Amino acid sequence: MIQLTNISKSFGRHQVLKQIDLTVQKGEVVVILGPSGSGKTTLLRCVNYLEKPGEGEIAIGDFRLNCKHAGKKDIHQLRQKSAMVFQQYNLFKHKTALENVMEGLVVVKKLPKEEAKARSVALLEKVGLGSKLDAYPSQLSGGQQQRVGIARALAMEPEVILFDEPTSALDPELVGEVLAVIRNIAKEGITMIVVTHEMGFARDVASRVVFMDDGVIVEEGTPAELFQNPREERTRQFLKRITPEYNYSI
Amino acid sequence: MGAPFDYTYIFSYFPKLLSTLGITLLIVAGSLLVGILVGFLIALPRLYRIPVLNQLARVYVSFFRGTPILIQLFLFYYGLPEMLKLVHIDISKAPVLVFVILTYGLHTGAFMSETIRASVSAVDRGQVEAAYAMGMKGTQAFTRIVLPQALAIAVPVFSNLVIALLKDTSLAFTLGVMEMTGKAETLGALTQHFIEAYIALALIYLAVSFTLEKLLLKAERRLLRHEQPAPSGERRFRLQRKRGFRRLVAGMDSGKGGAEA
Amino acid sequence: MKIDPAFIWTALVQLLSAIPTTLVITAVSVTAGFIIGLITALLRIYRVPVLGPIAAGYVTFIRGTPMLTHLLLIYFGLPMVLDALAAQFGWGFKSSSIPMIGFAFISFSITAGAYMSEVIRSGLLAVNRGQLEAAYSVGMTTSQALRRIVFPQALAVSVPNLSNSIIGMLHGSTLAFTVSVVEINAKAQIVASTNWKFFEAYLAAAVIFWGLTLLIERISAAIEKRIQVYNRGGVA
Repeated sequence: MIQLTNISKSFGRHQVLKQIDLTVQKGEVVVILGPSGSGKTTLLRCVNYLEKPGEGEIAIGDFRLNCKHAGKKDIHQLRQKSAMVFQQYNLFKHKTALENVMEGLVVVKKLPKEEAKARSVALLEKVGLGSKLDAYPSQLSGGQQQRVGIARALAMEPEVILFDEPTSALDPELVGEVLAVIRNIAKEGITMIVVTHEMGFARDVASRVVFMDDGVIVEEGTPAELFQNPREERTRQFLKRITPEYNYSI
Repeated sequence: MGAPFDYTYIFSYFPKLLSTLGITLLIVAGSLLVGILVGFLIALPRLYRIPVLNQLARVYVSFFRGTPILIQLFLFYYGLPEMLKLVHIDISKAPVLVFVILTYGLHTGAFMSETIRASVSAVDRGQVEAAYAMGMKGTQAFTRIVLPQALAIAVPVFSNLVIALLKDTSLAFTLGVMEMTGKAETLGALTQHFIEAYIALALIYLAVSFTLEKLLLKAERRLLRHEQPAPSGERRFRLQRKRGFRRLVAGMDSGKGGAEA
Repeated sequence: MKIDPAFIWTALVQLLSAIPTTLVITAVSVTAGFIIGLITALLRIYRVPVLGPIAAGYVTFIRGTPMLTHLLLIYFGLPMVLDALAAQFGWGFKSSSIPMIGFAFISFSITAGAYMSEVIRSGLLAVNRGQLEAAYSVGMTTSQALRRIVFPQALAVSVPNLSNSIIGMLHGSTLAFTVSVVEINAKAQIVASTNWKFFEAYLAAAVIFWGLTLLIERISAAIEKRIQVYNRGGVA
């Protein structure tokens, strides 16, 4: 279970997150929606401590961290509880697909190389890249790179995987293959928090949808609740803007 | 001026000059070692913006880039023993070669630190984030992810620095070190066949720089094997452009084309 | 020998008289070098038969050998060649009539030409090919397109590298002492040995060079800022 309590964060004078509370149960897939600048990516990055929250408490599993008194060791421990899939993939450019997945297992989890390799190969096969083990990121398409990124996150067997707009940087024709992989792992009961603009994906996969605007959680609910009868005016406005295609029928 | 031109002298000078190539290369290697060490020491406070040390590092770099190596040689040769006398260390008896290597090392270190700084800053911020996100520590992320990538970016500039250093060593003779240029001068004075001696000298320098450049190019290819062109034509174009850009950046940052000496 | 701080100032004042010589050497070599460099770069970019490869060979040779050897080769070689030619064709010319500083001018210009050709070449290559095509499309001739469109943009890109070349030549001018030209370095040597105060004299020389270098960097930064205005985009 992940529990964020009272998370606040400012960039200079601008307060990006305003005392956010969010709880994610084990096995849940939570999709965070919201206009750009609403703070959704910042919130996600706080869970992994890539952004340092000004105040608040982050709990993952039985590990609890108060952001006011977080030491290096605590941060390091917290980070091992989660894994991140980045918008820009951020694969290690000087390592092959296989080495990218192995890296964390060898360096952070201290697995023996052989075991790390076997696990990494299996994961890459799972995301459909069994034939690209020795390819460098520069030799892979965006979609393939992102699938390696997902395998890399899975390898760490984290309590939660954080997806930061995993398909936003992809060419439209490559979005599908990545979403399909995420759908598959969602079915396996892995806890996920996903920031995305893919409404269809949110509808089909999310167990809960959270709508954020201006640094606060405006409302949350099941996809059916949120998409069909949003309670808040701000949510309604946003959904109207982002899904204009639903106004026309073909 | 001198004896009439006789090209056979050029050939007879080759072995004589090559006998001092060792000293020249020793100066290059020694200074590189010192330079890399100093380069890191100077680059780190600037990369991590450590107060005071950061400013000191800037002054250091500005001084060594802002004054001619020839002046630096004299300055350290005459000044260092005096300075160290103040703290009761006597190095006035140390061989000249030590001063020469130290000066070239400190000089190269300034350029090296700029190279290191530029290359490390050129590594995508996302790479570090990904490393942190999977639970690596700061030092792990630096040594396993940032450094290897920065190294590959730095090689072309590094290669320029090495060749500039090789050429700069030709000034060591001014302090009486018998390296290749000093030897050529002596040979010329001895036989009055100056021009032949300097032609032979230039050809050897040319051969050595050429060899060094080829070797470092090989190293670069190895370090950059992760950017091998992919099968698709479009991708290849993009990669090459990126690499060209990087070379451009590299050339600009160093400011050490080695025009000097 | 004790360090005499007061003498640093004395030396500095004495060195001032040598600054013009240093600056003249630098200015001549940079100006001539720029012209040589431009021609060399164009010969290579347009792959002119025979001349192109010769230009490439020139650049490789100069960049692969120390600047000092260029000076020594010119100093010892040029008179030999000139005197031989003079004897052949009965010119009334004697190489001994060339002033010492002339060797420095010639040799340093040759050095600067090779380095600057690389700067100019990378500047020209950095200009987007589309710019040239656009110039053709409005009916410009090649030379018009080069002069009005490509060169200004290439120059703007090259400012930092050109400033580095100028600094390189400024520092390189210290080599002129080998042909008995009294520029700052040679003057420092004289001041040092007549007063037996080496460290102080060279420290003063270092200070002057440092100052001149910073000045060049400042000027180049200011020029770059002005010239790059169009690159910033936006309204302001």
